[in-house]
Amino acid sequence: MLRYDSTSSSAGSSSGSLSSSSSSSKPPQQDIDGLLAGAGYKVRSSELRQVAQRLERLETAMGNSPADFSQLASDAILYNPSDLACWVDSLLTEFAEPPPTCSSDFIVDPVNNQTVVNSAWTAAEPHTPQVHQNITYDEQQSLDNQLTVVTAMEEDSGIRLVHMLMTCAECVQSGDLSLATSLIDDMQGLLTHVNTVCGIGKVAGHFIDALSRRIFQGMGGGSVNGGSAFENEILYHHFYEACPYLKFAHFTANQAILEAFDGHDCVHVVDFNLMHGLQWPALIQALALRPGGPPLLRLTGIGPPSPDGRDSLREIGLRLAELARSVNVRFAFRGVAASRLEDVKPWMLQVNPKEAVAVNSIMQLHRLLGSEQTRNSPIDTVLSWIRGLNPKIMTVVEQEANHNQPGFLDRFTEALYYYSTMFDSLEACRVQPEKALAEIYIQREIGNVVSCEGSARVERHEPLAKWRRRLSGAGFRALHLGSNAFKQASMLLTLFSAEGYSVEENEGCLRLGWHSSPLIAASAWQAVPAWDNHMSSS
Amino acid sequence: MVQTHRCEDHETVGENKEKRPKFFINDHVDILIEILKRLDGRSLCVAASVCRLWCTIARNDSLWENLCFRHVSPPPSSVRSVVLALGGYKRLYTGCVRPVRSRLGRMRKASWARDEVQLSLSLFCVDYYERLGGSNSNGRLVGESSPSSLMFLCKPVNV
Repeated sequence: MLRYDSTSSSAGSSSGSLSSSSSSSKPPQQDIDGLLAGAGYKVRSSELRQVAQRLERLETAMGNSPADFSQLASDAILYNPSDLACWVDSLLTEFAEPPPTCSSDFIVDPVNNQTVVNSAWTAAEPHTPQVHQNITYDEQQSLDNQLTVVTAMEEDSGIRLVHMLMTCAECVQSGDLSLATSLIDDMQGLLTHVNTVCGIGKVAGHFIDALSRRIFQGMGGGSVNGGSAFENEILYHHFYEACPYLKFAHFTANQAILEAFDGHDCVHVVDFNLMHGLQWPALIQALALRPGGPPLLRLTGIGPPSPDGRDSLREIGLRLAELARSVNVRFAFRGVAASRLEDVKPWMLQVNPKEAVAVNSIMQLHRLLGSEQTRNSPIDTVLSWIRGLNPKIMTVVEQEANHNQPGFLDRFTEALYYYSTMFDSLEACRVQPEKALAEIYIQREIGNVVSCEGSARVERHEPLAKWRRRLSGAGFRALHLGSNAFKQASMLLTLFSAEGYSVEENEGCLRLGWHSSPLIAASAWQAVPAWDNHMSSS
Repeated sequence: MVQTHRCEDHETVGENKEKRPKFFINDHVDILIEILKRLDGRSLCVAASVCRLWCTIARNDSLWENLCFRHVSPPPSSVRSVVLALGGYKRLYTGCVRPVRSRLGRMRKASWARDEVQLSLSLFCVDYYERLGGSNSNGRLVGESSPSSLMFLCKPVNV
C-alpha cells in the first residue's frame, strides 16, 4: 500500500503538471482502453505502451529470480489489481528494480517540460502528443538501462568463469589434478548462471569439457576426433556454409592460382585436402572464361581413405569432371588416399615436368608439425618434396593462432581467446542447422588443442610470422597476393550479413578476422630457383 | 512503365467503346521486347504475370542476360555458353547477381560492377556443383543436405 502511493507520488513530485492527470485519485474516464476494459482491466490507452514494456520487464525479472517470485506470491498484498499500470509498477518494485527507472519515465526534458506544463494546464486533453514523445524517449533509455543491469550480472559470472578456467589450466600444467577437478565442478555450477546459448558461456562450456577430458583421460588421452571421415566431411561442409573463413580461403587461393597459371596450357593442381572439392568449381569456371581459352587442367586430390569400400575421392572427381565437361574445360582427376599427409610420396602425384604445378594447402600444413624440432620431421620432408616439384605457386591458408606452444597454460590462454572470437563471429550466422554443426566442428578443434598431446594433437596452429620463417628457411619466397584478391575478399565479406568481418593485407598476405582480431591467414609461395642443398639441413 | 501501357489501353477503351484501340502492344512484339529489356528484375517477374505472351517473353533468357550485364561493358561471348551450361541467366540473376548487388549496394563503387558479376558467376558455379551432387544417385555423399552454398545470400540480412 505504501509503495503504491510512493510510485504515484514520486511521479507527481518530479512533474507536478502530470500528476493532475495521472494520479489514481481521479482517472480521466474518457481514456480507458475499451477492449481491455471488457476483460476487466483498467488501462489508459495513452499508457498502453508503457504498461506493455513494464510487463516485459516484469517477465524478465521473474525469470531471473524465481526465488523472489515464490515469496511474492505468498507475501505480497496488492490492491486494485485491475488497474494494470499500477499493479505492474508495484510488482516491479517488489523485485527490487531500481526505482529511478520508474520516475525517470516522467523526468521530462526541462525545456520541453515547460511546454508540457502549459499544454496540460491550458488544454483539456489529458496527454498531448509532445508528452508522448518525451516519455517514449526516456522510457527507451530506462529500458536500455534495465537491460544493462541484467547483463552486468551475467558479465560478472562470465569473467569469473574465465578466471576459473585459467586457474584450472594452471593446475593442470602444474599437475595439481585434485584442485583442477574441484574447479571443474565449480565451473559447471557457475555455467548454470550464465547464458550458454551465446557469448562466453557457450565457449566456456566447450573448454570446460575439453579440460575435464584432459584430466580424466590422462596425458596423451584418446583422440577427440573419434568421428569418421564421413562425419568430418559433413561438419566441414557446414563450417563452409556458416561462416566466410573457408570461402575466403578458397576464393583467395583460386585467385592466386589463376594468376600464376596465366599463359600455361597444361596445369596441374595438387590439393592437400579434397573434402567435397568445393574449392574447384570456381577455378574451373574462371579457367573456362580466361582470355585465350581454358588450359588442360589436372587435379590431384589427397584425402583420407574411405572405410566402407566407397571411393569418395573418385566420386568427387567424377562430379568435378562433369562440371568441367559442361563448361568445356579439358579435365583429368586423380585421387590419392592417405590417412596422413606425410605418407604421401611425390611419385604418387605423377607430376609431368612440362606442366605448371600449383600446390594448395588449406589448413593442412600445421598437422605435420610436431612439438619437438627434430631434423627430418614430417614438415621438413613434405616441404622438401614440394620444392622438388618446383610449383609455380603454393597457396597456404592457416589459422592465425599460436596453438603450438610447449607450455599448456600459454596454449590454453591463446586458444580461449581465439575460439571466443570465432564463436562471436559465428553468432551473426542465422542459417540453421549449418550454425550448430559448424559449432561442433570448432568444438572438435578446441578438444584437440586442449585435451590431446603427442601424435594425437594435430591442431598445431602457428601464426603467419612463424610460417613465413619456416617457409623461407625451406627454400620458398613469398608471392604477393594482388589487389584483385584483396578486392574479391572484401566483396565476399560484405556479402556475409555480419558487419564484423575485416580483411587486411600484411606484406602481400591476406588476413581475415573478426573485429580486427585476425583469425585466418592466406599466403602464396614459390620455390626459390637456385637453392644450396647443404643449407636446408640447418 | 507497365502501368502506363495499361492506362493507355484503358483510356482508349473508355473514351470510345465502339472503336477498337488503335495501338495494342501485344501486336508489336519487337517493341514489347525492347521495353521489357529495360525493366529491373522485380518488374520483369511482375510482367511475366500479365498474360501468356508477356510470360513467354519474360522467360526468355536473353532478357535476363541483359539484366546481368546491364551496367557492365559487354562480356566476351564465351561467358554465355558457360552460364547456359550452369543453369541459365535467369537463375544466375535471381540466385546470385541480385542478392550480391543488393548486399553490396551500400558500399558499392563504380569499379566493382564487373567484379560483382564475376563473383556472382563463381558463386553460381559452386551452387551448380552442389546441385550436381544432389541429383546424383550417390546423393548421400553430401549427407542429406540440399545445395546450400548460396544460403548465406538468401537469408535476410540482419544489420
